[in-house]
Amino acid sequence: MKHVDVVVIGGGLLGCFAARNLCRWNLHIALLEAREDVCTGISRANTAIVYPGYDHKPGSLKAELCVRANARFDALCRELDLPFSRCGSLMLSFGEKADAVLKKKYENGLSLGVPGLRLLSGEEAQGMEPALAEGVTSALYAPTAGTVNPWELGIAACESAVANGAELCLNTRVLGIGRSLEGYRIETDRGLFSCRAVVNCAGLSADRVQELLFPAAVHIAPDAADYLILDKAAENKPTHIIQYEPEDGGKGLSAVPTVEGSLLLGPSERENEVDFAVSAEGLSFVRERAARVLPGLDLRDTIRSFAAVRPNPRRSDGSSIGSFVIEHPDPGFWSLIGIKTPGLTCADELGRHLADQVASFLNAGVNETFDGHRSGVKKMRGMSREQRNAAIRENPDCGEVLCCCEDVTRAEALEAIRRGATTLDGVKRRVGAGMGRCQGSRCQQKLIALLAQELGVSEAAICKDGAGSEILGSRRYEN
Amino acid sequence: MKTELLIIGAGAAGMAAALSAWEAGCRDILLVDRRDRPGGILPQCLHKGFGLACFGTELTGPSYAEQLAQRLKITNVRLALGTEVLAIDADKTALLSDRYGLTELHFDRLILASGCREKSIGALPVAGTRPAGIFTAGQAQEMMNLRGQDPGNEILILGSGDLGLIMARQLVLAGKHVIAVVEKEAHYGGLARNFRRCIEPYRIPLLVRTTVTEIHGHGRISGVTLRRLDSGEEEQISCDTLITALGLIPERELVRKLGDPDWLFLAGNCRRVHDLVDSAVAEAERIGKEATR
Ligand SMILES: Cc1cc2nc3c(=O)[nH]c(=O)nc-3n(C[C@H](O)[C@H](O)[C@H](O)COP(=O)(O)OP(=O)(O)OC[C@H]3O[C@@H](n4cnc5c(N)ncnc54)[C@H](O)[C@@H]3O)c2cc1C
Ligand SMILES: Cc1cc2nc3c(=O)[nH]c(=O)nc-3n(C[C@H](O)[C@H](O)[C@H](O)COP(=O)(O)OP(=O)(O)OC[C@H]3O[C@@H](n4cnc5c(N)ncnc54)[C@H](O)[C@@H]3O)c2cc1C
Repeated sequence: MKHVDVVVIGGGLLGCFAARNLCRWNLHIALLEAREDVCTGISRANTAIVYPGYDHKPGSLKAELCVRANARFDALCRELDLPFSRCGSLMLSFGEKADAVLKKKYENGLSLGVPGLRLLSGEEAQGMEPALAEGVTSALYAPTAGTVNPWELGIAACESAVANGAELCLNTRVLGIGRSLEGYRIETDRGLFSCRAVVNCAGLSADRVQELLFPAAVHIAPDAADYLILDKAAENKPTHIIQYEPEDGGKGLSAVPTVEGSLLLGPSERENEVDFAVSAEGLSFVRERAARVLPGLDLRDTIRSFAAVRPNPRRSDGSSIGSFVIEHPDPGFWSLIGIKTPGLTCADELGRHLADQVASFLNAGVNETFDGHRSGVKKMRGMSREQRNAAIRENPDCGEVLCCCEDVTRAEALEAIRRGATTLDGVKRRVGAGMGRCQGSRCQQKLIALLAQELGVSEAAICKDGAGSEILGSRRYEN
Repeated sequence: MKTELLIIGAGAAGMAAALSAWEAGCRDILLVDRRDRPGGILPQCLHKGFGLACFGTELTGPSYAEQLAQRLKITNVRLALGTEVLAIDADKTALLSDRYGLTELHFDRLILASGCREKSIGALPVAGTRPAGIFTAGQAQEMMNLRGQDPGNEILILGSGDLGLIMARQLVLAGKHVIAVVEKEAHYGGLARNFRRCIEPYRIPLLVRTTVTEIHGHGRISGVTLRRLDSGEEEQISCDTLITALGLIPERELVRKLGDPDWLFLAGNCRRVHDLVDSAVAEAERIGKEATR
């Protein structure tokens, strides 16, 4: 049995940031993640927007956290050393009804203190963003909106937590929770943990994890969403985040110019689906919306489509819940259940919020040695020529490009593995290899060899992501 | 650094362009390639069928490449392998990266012979999961023929261009079960010669007017949904590997923003996709001369 002060269940954005913020206190923390890596769930597939916060009800926790989180985002990304693009957002209307919706959002935003909001005329919007379709009647401009790579953010938070003493236990699924003398007994498929407090951030299973010991007043009713990604070379991409409020009140669309330079389009909305599987209807929906709002895009520049799953929180009578749900069924037990948008934006704030409560319950002192700075993997792409040359002189691996679409070198791939990537997707999430227009068809085979060599296993053992996703058959060809 | 003629890509086209530029009198030629051997895609094409026009006999890919490489050796064309060209600037400089450093190279003329890339399944509106076990045909060919890597056992091939046909045969010969080659058009896409040699003798089913609409499986691919385009009928098929041969896209990223300056020449598959290496070579020889004038 392993004894710690706090067990955090789930290594998504929320669990990673909860763990990192708990490290600000003198507490021994274990972060338990069922999968082979962190950020493989909801945190891997979402819209990647750092919201300005104008949407939320005044006085709600969501409104408070979102506006504050947005204001702190530059500092957070500087501290965690990852790119953040504060590109601003334009929410578009194409008619009177939607004009009225935007006006309401604008006024709501003003009352929340969202900085810089402006209601623009259609012409003004088109002046800022020539790629827009004709017929925009008004637009809500939020200069503080931005975008970040969600898994890069989560991984950075996790690395920071580990550097400050948290223990990361991968491939460790929580199967049962009971009481112990200290507080709680956590049963996993990798042995027992005993702890004084539990923070449950199990994403899509958060309700079921709570029910291992307590009833849950809130349940998750998942539904799925589809997205497309357009190549960074695609023409007529917008430079702001474009959101579209349809006149008929239906589902809109977001177009996000990502920090990698590609364009993310989506999401669609589908009822009652729990699988991260793309639907044909969802894809047509996204394509149709994109063509309507950004007619200059050539959707043949699509390089990938993927699906996401929304953890919609519902009360036992089936009604949906608009606010962030933090269940607190026992003095030492907290659950985040059904945290969807803007959970990415608020991950750090939610983590702080919880950590403060846990620390006060445990009477923990401040950890004076906490250091929030983390250094990201040194990316060759984007370096000045002098820096890049110097890096190669120091380490020849920096000169060997492995992924030619995204300009990722052998040195970066090796660093990803050194930092804990054990799979192809683990390398991709850490350094971007395989994310570009050829989708890994030119670098995958090299990365398999590199992973096998570094991990000391056979190439046939290398997986794409989770168990059972072996990439190669078992036979070797001798040529 | 400076060179008169820079050639990017040491595949069949790049080597042929270098040779003809040399023969036309250019004495300052640098040929660069990211791979660590010359030949481009040729070294991974172990089948016969190269060079009937140029050499009067059918060679394998590696021996065709070897022929060109041998002829290059008796020239003073400099060959820089393991070298990635990162960027080309409008002021006629190229940025090169290799294990020794980053080099800014000034050139007078440039021949781009960067070949093509394969269209990946990500570009298609295919529903379903995104499991392991999906490869492009060229990738599978490289894995098997250059890296000794096994792509899988129960294989469906999507797309009947030459690459799809050639891989179907190679997989059968390697003891794999090729369930079918699936093609959305009414006729296979590759050369008739390749259909006769690669598909007919092995009785590999060719399903025309058919496509893959959905991918199944968690972890590794477990099957796909096929749709018959004429009847709209759908059918689920089990497989543990999907190989895609969806077509080739000329690789011109490096010069995309440059317009059409008079110092830039394109040769081989990056200019247009050549079915036959001899035609890529013939074109490249002409371009090599043109770039020397
Ligand atoms: C479609 C969509 C779009 C979104 N867009 C945005 C946006 O643009 N901006 C924004 O701010 N927010 C957005 N969000 C919200 C944001 O993505 C989520 O709030 C956030 O990612 C939730 O992270 P998580 O840690 O709760 O979940 P996850 O990332 O799913 O993490 C939960 C983890 O718990 C693990 N786990 C589960 N059960 C167990 C167990 N028994 N034992 C151990 N581990 C377990 C899982 O393996 C998983 O890794 C979006 C959400 C969705 C669904
Ligand atoms: C599977 C297959 C089977 C074929 N079978 C036959 C056949 O049987 N008979 C026949 O006659 N023809 C066949 N062909 C056609 C013929 O082989 C090709 O048309 C020809 O080899 C193309 O040569 P290339 O030089 O244009 O391109 P490639 O061989 O692709 O060479 C391009 C080179 O450029 C390099 N490069 C690209 N960008 C950069 C950069 N930024 N920095 C550094 N290097 C770079 C690449 O690494 C590559 O080595 C076949 C083709 C394929 C793909």
